[in-house]
Amino acid sequence: MPLPPDNNLRQFLLFAFALIIPCFALWTVAMGFIAMPAVGLADMILEFWFPAAVDGLQFQGGKAVLMTQFGELNGAPVPQEQSEYQLAFLINPGILSYSLPFYATLHFATAKDSYLNSFVTGLFVLYPLVLVGLLSLCLKELMVNLGTLFLEQPGAPNATFIALFYQLNVLIVPTVAPIVLWVWQSRDTPLLRDVLNLGAAPEEAESL
Amino acid sequence: MKRFVITFSVVLVALFSLEMLNPVQEHLVVPFTTLLAKISATLIAPFDDGVIAYGKVLQFKDTGFAVSIEAGCNGVEATIVLIAAVVAYPASWKARSIAIVSGFFAIQALNIVRIISLFYLGDWDIDIFSWVHLYLWPSLIMLDVLVVFIVYLRYLSRDQLGAANAAAAG
Repeated sequence: MPLPPDNNLRQFLLFAFALIIPCFALWTVAMGFIAMPAVGLADMILEFWFPAAVDGLQFQGGKAVLMTQFGELNGAPVPQEQSEYQLAFLINPGILSYSLPFYATLHFATAKDSYLNSFVTGLFVLYPLVLVGLLSLCLKELMVNLGTLFLEQPGAPNATFIALFYQLNVLIVPTVAPIVLWVWQSRDTPLLRDVLNLGAAPEEAESL
Repeated sequence: MKRFVITFSVVLVALFSLEMLNPVQEHLVVPFTTLLAKISATLIAPFDDGVIAYGKVLQFKDTGFAVSIEAGCNGVEATIVLIAAVVAYPASWKARSIAIVSGFFAIQALNIVRIISLFYLGDWDIDIFSWVHLYLWPSLIMLDVLVVFIVYLRYLSRDQLGAANAAAAG
């Protein structure tokens, strides 16, 4: 039986606050394992895209290290043969993949008929966005730390594009994409039908 | 739905592009971020006199631990998402304006709770601070945006229902 309209929102909020910590805790345990495929794919893409700038994106203890083809001399990036060090930047895939536990929180906090199939579909939708976010993060690190050495690489996007790409994919998408996906998948639930003033779902209306 | 998604995306990208402009950062975002630090320090002061604020920085006098409120921590991005959603959903401009202004205060109220809680968490345990700062609080702030938007949609739907009932009765 559907809950009275006010209770749908209350129930959702109660479950969301109850589930958010367990979902994030589970994700923290599996964070490294979850990031591994995205790091591997980003490594292939970056090495192919910027062979003269990127030496690889290596997975290391739950985080990733972006190895460059450059070194450092007197605090400035220089071609690797002029330096004793290889410049590398630490990348945290966690700031992208936390979209998954956030989505899980919203998904499981919503009263609906079935959970598992749509949840797995949701993960498959969100995971490519983690990869895009990882690429955005790497591009931003390369631009900020290597400057013109990177921006002059063949195929390198311009600075404004990288900044906007980073802003959207790293700061916005990990929190907005789970909400958009959740709204889409939950559009026929009593919670959203009540909010959007659509009345009961067709199958519910029949049973009433 | 299609129209909502397109308008939402366009307004979102436009406002983000605007936010990234140097004059906007210099004259709006940075002073606002500084104001947030000062408000946080003012709220803490009656309970803890060992805290000082300068610029965007909050600091403990005794331990020296400090947090700097940077872009991404000032709630501006969350406000932009709310504005994009409110603008994209069909309603009167009066209702939209009320939603944006009250939503802004709801987001910033929670954001100040975030800043203060992170400040104390960081002084206590830096690993927990990082976890909560990077992963948990951004989700909670966006959950706040979602709740504000849902409450706004409920207000709109009740308003429309009331108007329809009044028209039927008339």
